[in-house]
Amino acid sequence: MASFAWATLSTGRDMPKAIKHLQAVVREIDEPLPGVKRLVLADQDGWRLPAFRPGAHIDLHLANGLVRTYSLCNEPADCRRYVIAVKREEAGRGGSRHIHDELRAGEVIGVSVPRSGLALSPTGMNIFVAGGIGVTPFVSAILAMEREGQSNYQLHWASMGEPSLIDMLAPAVKGGRVHLYNTLEVSPPDIRPIVDGSGPDAKAFCCGPAGMLDAFESAVAEWPESRKHVERFTAPKLVPTLNAQPYSVVLARSGREMEVRPEVGLLATLEAMDADISVSCAGGICGACRTRWIEGPPIHHDRVLSPQERAHEVIVCIAECAGPRLVLDL
Amino acid sequence: MPTGAEHPPQRATMNVPPAWTGVVRFLHITPRAFLPMESFDELTLVAGKGIEGDRYMIGRESGFYSHKPEEGRQITLFEIETLEALARDAKIQMLPEEHRRNVTVQGVPLNHLVGRQFWVGETLLEATRLSTPCRHIEEILGKAVFDPLINRSGLNCRILKGGVIRVGDAVHGA
Repeated sequence: MASFAWATLSTGRDMPKAIKHLQAVVREIDEPLPGVKRLVLADQDGWRLPAFRPGAHIDLHLANGLVRTYSLCNEPADCRRYVIAVKREEAGRGGSRHIHDELRAGEVIGVSVPRSGLALSPTGMNIFVAGGIGVTPFVSAILAMEREGQSNYQLHWASMGEPSLIDMLAPAVKGGRVHLYNTLEVSPPDIRPIVDGSGPDAKAFCCGPAGMLDAFESAVAEWPESRKHVERFTAPKLVPTLNAQPYSVVLARSGREMEVRPEVGLLATLEAMDADISVSCAGGICGACRTRWIEGPPIHHDRVLSPQERAHEVIVCIAECAGPRLVLDL
Repeated sequence: MPTGAEHPPQRATMNVPPAWTGVVRFLHITPRAFLPMESFDELTLVAGKGIEGDRYMIGRESGFYSHKPEEGRQITLFEIETLEALARDAKIQMLPEEHRRNVTVQGVPLNHLVGRQFWVGETLLEATRLSTPCRHIEEILGKAVFDPLINRSGLNCRILKGGVIRVGDAVHGA
């Protein structure tokens, strides 16, 4: 019987932990410019990696517990490796210092599935404005366009001194589509004249320091949102119900309590509390995380429970709360 | 431990011949969670364990759901007709390597096979439960396939008799 086999599997060893991300080997590390390290990540057996769009980024789960997001800067068709470039930020929060000082080739690190990417204009001009290491999302976009024989882009790239990844853009430089601004010698690009008159199908993208982002947003203030993109290296946030308010989730058996912010959501909050829940589909259909609730009421979004069941149970992976406190029988 | 092979399902005892015969169209495995599935012309099935090289091989689990051991998840199947329906009804192009099941079959009524035994080439499988869609696939694919896959997300099976299965193998009831 299946139940006997299940018992054997479940009790014959420790329950393995859920696998939350890829495990990648750091195949190579080089330093194309002092202060910038370039990492090549690959599967341990050279298996294909999940595909990514131009300008996509990944999270690195570093050994010191930090999670940091970096743009992929290799060609998307290059499906057996991920390449990222990391500038050492002395005053940062520690991620880049760890990568520069501790991480070694051959180590295994956690890597998220790539997400996001740049929605390029297929026929209009694509204007990339970058400051320093902010060029990384545009490198993969340019490599993808060059591969497709597309030249409808221009990169305006400011850097203090020599640019860091210029070796990856040789065809683009040779084609005259890269405009370099060494800010030790010249002013950074004046963005408004660059974007003005670029046509109704043009799109503009910017990644760089705050001052550059502000100048860019001012220059394209009148552009529709669909034609402009600012890259800020922040993880995408959950989209909560309109006007959703924070509430407290309480685990009744232990008395533990934590605020559920709408942009974080109930499931991530429960996981942060290390609550004893089983999550499978994370979409309100499998019922694995079915939990009794004591106080609420929950806002149900699942497709599992009947109206009668909802009176005392909730599918927590997708639920919200209509009141200030959601007390769960956990 | 008794096996399904020693206790044939009810239909077999009714001596009703199966009304269908299908065929294997694609075979896929991946060694670890999140990695893309890769296509093979043949796969080796190990009775009571899984598929050589796949992430859900019992004893070497490294799949997204491996923290939830399941004896009846040694091999998974998917109908190619579902891919056609997704394209037709939901305008979603989903490739055989994207549904993340191991065997893509044609002409096999998978949803009717739970609790039954059937042959795939020289191997004998027993269907344990319907597969369910999950957000994990949407995360990997970037395609909104969760809703369209409800009730047609494939079949989980245990392997009663191992062997090599190949693209083009016949699929029929036991």
